[in-house]
Amino acid sequence: MRLSAWLLLAPLLPGIINRVKARVAGRRGPPVLQLYCDLARLWRKGVVVSTLASPGFVAGPAVAWVAVLAAALLVPILPLGAALSFRGDVILMVYLLALARFCTAWAAMETGSAFEGMGAAREVSYAVLAEAALITAALALSVRSGTISMGSMLAPPAWTGAALLAAGLFTLLLAENCRVPFDDPTTHLELTMVHEVMVLDHSGPLFAVVLHGAGMKLLLFSVLLVEAVLPLGELSQAAAAGALVGGVLAVAAAVGMVESLLARYAFKRVPLLLTTAFLFCLFALLLAWKGGLA
Amino acid sequence: MGGLLSIAILFLVAAAMSGCRLPRVWLALTLAGASVFLAAAFVALGGGPDWEWRSGFTLGGELLHLRFDGVSAWFLALVGVVGGAGAVYSREYWADVQRPDSAGRGRMWWSLLVLGMGLVLLCSNGLHFLIAWEAFALSAYFLITLERERRETLAAGWLYLAASHTGTLGLVGFFSLLAARTGGWDLGPMGDQPGLAPLFWVALFGFGVKAGIFPLHVWLPSAHSSAPSHVSAILSGVAIKMGLYGIVRFSFWLPLPRGAGWVVLAVGAVSAVLGAAFALAQTDLKRLLAYCSVENMGLILIGVGAGLLGIADRDAAWGCMAMAGAFLHVWNHGLFKPLLFLGAGSVVHATGTREMSRMGGLWRAMPWTAGLFTFGAAAISGLPPLNGFVSEWLMYLGLFDAAAGHTPGGAVMLPAAIALGVTGALCLAAFVKASAVVFLGAPRTKAAAQAHECGPWMRAPMLALAGLCVFLALGLVVVWPLLTRPLAAWYPAWNGSDTPSPVDGLAGLQVLLAVAGAMAAFGLWVRVRSNGMRRALTWDCGISCAALGMAAARAAAARHH
Repeated sequence: MRLSAWLLLAPLLPGIINRVKARVAGRRGPPVLQLYCDLARLWRKGVVVSTLASPGFVAGPAVAWVAVLAAALLVPILPLGAALSFRGDVILMVYLLALARFCTAWAAMETGSAFEGMGAAREVSYAVLAEAALITAALALSVRSGTISMGSMLAPPAWTGAALLAAGLFTLLLAENCRVPFDDPTTHLELTMVHEVMVLDHSGPLFAVVLHGAGMKLLLFSVLLVEAVLPLGELSQAAAAGALVGGVLAVAAAVGMVESLLARYAFKRVPLLLTTAFLFCLFALLLAWKGGLA
Repeated sequence: MGGLLSIAILFLVAAAMSGCRLPRVWLALTLAGASVFLAAAFVALGGGPDWEWRSGFTLGGELLHLRFDGVSAWFLALVGVVGGAGAVYSREYWADVQRPDSAGRGRMWWSLLVLGMGLVLLCSNGLHFLIAWEAFALSAYFLITLERERRETLAAGWLYLAASHTGTLGLVGFFSLLAARTGGWDLGPMGDQPGLAPLFWVALFGFGVKAGIFPLHVWLPSAHSSAPSHVSAILSGVAIKMGLYGIVRFSFWLPLPRGAGWVVLAVGAVSAVLGAAFALAQTDLKRLLAYCSVENMGLILIGVGAGLLGIADRDAAWGCMAMAGAFLHVWNHGLFKPLLFLGAGSVVHATGTREMSRMGGLWRAMPWTAGLFTFGAAAISGLPPLNGFVSEWLMYLGLFDAAAGHTPGGAVMLPAAIALGVTGALCLAAFVKASAVVFLGAPRTKAAAQAHECGPWMRAPMLALAGLCVFLALGLVVVWPLLTRPLAAWYPAWNGSDTPSPVDGLAGLQVLLAVAGAMAAFGLWVRVRSNGMRRALTWDCGISCAALGMAAARAAAARHH
């Protein structure tokens, strides 16, 4: 059931973000379910593959998709818990996202295109800071709760660090999912993009898998952000579920607002922004450490 | 046990003597010696008793004293595997036909290197330890400089020799001080003499040079990149582990000074992050791999340091977890790093260059090498469901547990865990770049366009190493009981029998993930085929066509003149 929830709900979030952006700009915008139609259409289409590409061009997106799905299944949906849970699962989740990154970057390099090479290089170098921030956030939660499995780490009782963690994780969400101000999912200028440029040459079912995986990753980070910040554990089951859904929708709306109000940053400012995210998580970690000692 | 070990030693001595003249006999004998080492190691790891042997013979005025316990066995298994794999590889890679003057020498020194490392792991007398240590260090020097005619190789060899002897000097100092304090060269547990504690720093320096930890790594990148690739493989995979073996061995035989755990952890974290950062900056494929060895030594030392801190903190279980990760990473790195070096060797063999920018598009000509190298790259980046992830995961588990438990030393675990994460991401960046630049895209030079796949003698050892990596990744249920042996030998309180295996949660998931990934790739492939697939040039804004046109024009002009 959790599996189907992740699979079915994943394409919803980008639709909501697009609707928010359209409303802010005074347009009607595409239907919220547009991505579902796109995926169905892409799934039926033929594929054009570069003459240079090896079989890894097909395997890359597939393995990346499995990795993101597996990472999502490790995240507990709070009233229900996770599909899989064991000690240290949070580290497996971080590394599954790294596996997805490896495969995406590999598949991007398959075509031998300079643009995709640039995108891949940007992606993996931003990931260094992003992964540091993610590990720090995980450490903060684990120090705060005294456990290292996500089922008990998330939804900590309310504390000051939550605000810091929220800021850090939200910035991280924007970076990891290639949203403004790190990347612009709507532009078609290859020189300026990160994620979009890596998947330029994917088409048909390959592109469908990439898009669906991106949707799942966005949903994963939104759920993670909400559960890491809100004290859902103190609420009743129904209230927690409602708060979770509301929180995820609020995150989507916030992403939409950011995209409407901000322009993409120059590349040299991106590391600075990511460092800020890392510092937010680090201060949360220090707060948790101090709080535990006191 | 004594029988097995002496048979192996005899085989290797015979191999060294036959190496110059009889390549086939040499290969058979070396393989036999290496496999008997491996068998002995597995007998010990499978639950055999520790073996100790004092003979009446003297060497240099000292009685022979050999000892074989879980820690020696753990490292000896690696000597056997890589010693055998590299020997098979060299048959084609450094063959008599192409290298008539150095192939024979190479075979002889190879056997002596394997033998020397085996003896280092067995000797339990300070003087004999030093002799074995010097024998293996010198064999390594002669192997690095097999290709004498190249300036760069000789320079690298000299640097190695100088650095190695600086380390040996430290070790001579260490063992003589030890002998002076204890009144004899005999080695063994000395935890009851607290006055010996400061000697640990001397040992850490001496062994640290060999292990190539930052900032004592200066010799490592040039030596490991200039050596023939099968030599680089055993140097990176096994020889630098001997330095680590020394650190591990004497961290439980000596009484430890205050702060030893912190220092080891800090040195490890610095080596890991900087090694990975330097690796990312390399354009020479083999130098990249060499810097990555510095990084991996750092990772292992993070685990060892956390293990020592765990012992200091009333034998905490998290220390055991981190140390288990360190031990497992010794094996993991000892398998995938040789795999990567052998893969790099095939590439160098095929293209005649180590510069990554002069390669490209090699997967079409060498699909086996491309596949195996990429497998190794993913494994070394610590990606699930491969083996590198398991050991890093165990170390994370130790560090996170220590932090979550608010242990007194826990504050130092926070930066260590973050360093581990940064290292993983840097390593991933370096290896995506390396494997993609070398194997994907279009060939960038004529040599790359005319590359050829390596033959069966070079392919078989790579396949074997990759197979062992898969076994370590997916067979966790079998691997964990083996792992408890060196842990128990290192610190008897952690005999592992009373603690449930921490990898149970992960073991099934690893297999599931591997199967799911393969199925998804296959399913997507089927879908793509049934939808129809068309090949077309990669869109490059017309640059390549313009460049081709210009090249054609230039060629025409050249002909005209």
